[in-house]
Amino acid sequence: MEWESGYLFKGLNEKQLERLQADARNVSMAAGDVICREGESADAVYILSSGTVELVTSISKSLELPVSMLREPGEMFGSSALIEPHTYTLTAKCASGGSVVVMERNALEEYMAEDHEAAFTIMANLAANFLSRLKESRQELKIHFNMLLRSFRA
Amino acid sequence: MDEQNQISVEKRSGLSILDIQGDVTSASEPFFSEAYNHPDADGSGKILLKFDENAYINSGGIAVLIQLLAETRRKNQKVGITGLSEHFKKIFNMVGISRFADIYASTEEALQAME
Repeated sequence: MEWESGYLFKGLNEKQLERLQADARNVSMAAGDVICREGESADAVYILSSGTVELVTSISKSLELPVSMLREPGEMFGSSALIEPHTYTLTAKCASGGSVVVMERNALEEYMAEDHEAAFTIMANLAANFLSRLKESRQELKIHFNMLLRSFRA
Repeated sequence: MDEQNQISVEKRSGLSILDIQGDVTSASEPFFSEAYNHPDADGSGKILLKFDENAYINSGGIAVLIQLLAETRRKNQKVGITGLSEHFKKIFNMVGISRFADIYASTEEALQAME
């Protein structure tokens, strides 16, 4: 299993990982399957075991913008399940068949309530990941803003 | 997502070919800028963007490409694109990139059409 290499669990010890594994289940996916959908209630965190998963965001009914392609076992998605309002911010689609490890939000929250040290590590990892995503979004915004400025000056 | 790109620039039959390796994201901007300003591409009337078929191009990468295409339009440069997977051909059509650059199935086809 590669789920332990997920960014959320970086820094947890063997005992904590074993405890988490008890709540994990492996689910197969086929190309085209929607694993979770943007805007829907986020009830689980997913970790890629095999295959590839594409993350997209909806711009309109007919247009989805590509956000990321997860290819490496251990890559995670659906982590907004751990933060209110517990809504998925992206849609995850299976691009090529494989499997994912599913960790239900309720089980994760229960574990985090009983092991505060692990909870702190998980939430610190989550914050670091969100900061990195925020940095990337700001970079993208700068590109759009520069284009807008140039169009005004032209 | 890969944060590094390698873009080599080659001049063939009066056409500047930007050979793009790796995923394309907002972090790719300096690599595209450097390649576009490379002596073999700077001022060229025709530019071919050659992608790696396994490359992933996210929304930030699309923004970088649109920025580059806006620049080529200002300079009246003709742009072609090749190496795209079917997935990205569809996306480029939907976001309108294909209105500013012709999409070709191969480098050879692009060379023939753009010459």
